[in-house]
Amino acid sequence: MNPITCLFHVLFKGLAIAFYILSSLFFKYFAIHFVITVLLEALDFWVVKNVSGRILVGLRWWNEVSDQGESIWRYESLDQEELARLNKKDSWLFWWTLYLNAAAWVVLGIIAIIKFNFDYLLVVGVCVALSVANLIGFTRCRKDAKKQIQAYASQAVASHVASTIQSAFSVV
Amino acid sequence: MSHSDTVPLNTSSQSDIDEIENLLVMHQHGPSHTHYPGSVPAARPSSPPRASIPVSTSISVPSALPTPKTPVSVGPIPKPSMESPPTPDYGAGKAPTGFGGGPSANTLTEPVWLTIKRDLIRIGTNLRHVVFPNPYREDPGQALRDWDLWGPFFFIVFLGVAISYSASSDNSKVFAVVFAVLAAGAVILTLNVLLLGGHIIFFQSLSLLGYCLFPLDIGALICMLNSHPIVNGIVVLITLAWSSWAAYPFVSAAVSSNRKALAVYPVFLLYVSIGFFIFAV
Repeated sequence: MNPITCLFHVLFKGLAIAFYILSSLFFKYFAIHFVITVLLEALDFWVVKNVSGRILVGLRWWNEVSDQGESIWRYESLDQEELARLNKKDSWLFWWTLYLNAAAWVVLGIIAIIKFNFDYLLVVGVCVALSVANLIGFTRCRKDAKKQIQAYASQAVASHVASTIQSAFSVV
Repeated sequence: MSHSDTVPLNTSSQSDIDEIENLLVMHQHGPSHTHYPGSVPAARPSSPPRASIPVSTSISVPSALPTPKTPVSVGPIPKPSMESPPTPDYGAGKAPTGFGGGPSANTLTEPVWLTIKRDLIRIGTNLRHVVFPNPYREDPGQALRDWDLWGPFFFIVFLGVAISYSASSDNSKVFAVVFAVLAAGAVILTLNVLLLGGHIIFFQSLSLLGYCLFPLDIGALICMLNSHPIVNGIVVLITLAWSSWAAYPFVSAAVSSNRKALAVYPVFLLYVSIGFFIFAV
């Protein structure tokens, strides 16, 4: 349904991983590998969090600092009808690429440990942090959305029951 | 969760949106809402310039924009028609583009360059609040309320590149070491404050320590371009003092007064060691 968004959702992830793996073919300096890989992964983080999350699965999460100095995590989702209208393939793609991306970076990290490449482990560490952050954020957001839907549904049922009872009494 | 605060916005301008926000805030949180003394809306930086709602998209009801103070959840998100490519910048703020900051439903449909501009303005605002001498400096706890990690990211990377560029020996090792020291140092310093019983938010403090690297960035740039050792030394000393001066109020405000030195000294130490890096490498 949203081919351009799906494309971008996958694009930066794939580019980051590809660049990381192939980097030694292109440039000699580690600093360039580091900066470009982390930049691509951070771009992907931004895209997923702000664009494809909203468009493909209708979820959004962020963090706020309240007046009292507390940090609050906020989750937001589309309501019931909009959720039902979302394309199944889009959301399948969204979640699967999120999981695969995190898993891929973890595997690359293990490889870097085995090869004793601690410079590259730094790169992988940052990328793992970014992808896992998005993963956790969206998973929590989805759970929160489900909870809200249930609460809303039970509230709707309760209010409906109450109103029917009321109308029944008023008739009597 | 009340949906009663969704206000149909047609082609309202930004000032209307702000007025409505203020009305909602006052109305919903009258006596129970605690404000910092004498700083009701003025304590916050003015809301960043948001796009007026483009007429072309088919938005049903863009909900009223809740400020971060209200715990009201936003109504249904309008389904956007996002054609433009995502922006390559990611700041936080009123829109959840980075980590911190609140929501703004309009940003779904605003043009890309406007998002970039808004994020850059946010980075500039944060920078100004943190680093530059400001006689009307606000309560330190509030200054980085809309924290974002992307200013610090660019500063740390730039510092690493600047230091490793002029390094005589292994460039990549130098870059990695500088980056790791700064990133791990920021995390550890934040943990230090938290463990000392201080009240600070993790990401806010990371963001703060990153922004305070800006003077050291300038110092590193000058040292990169210039090779006279005495001039380099003086520049490093000045920028180091500036960085420490910038970071001091925030860190000391977060802990109780008898532990101030314990919290501030490691920050100073970190900046001194980075200063050594800049000077010697």
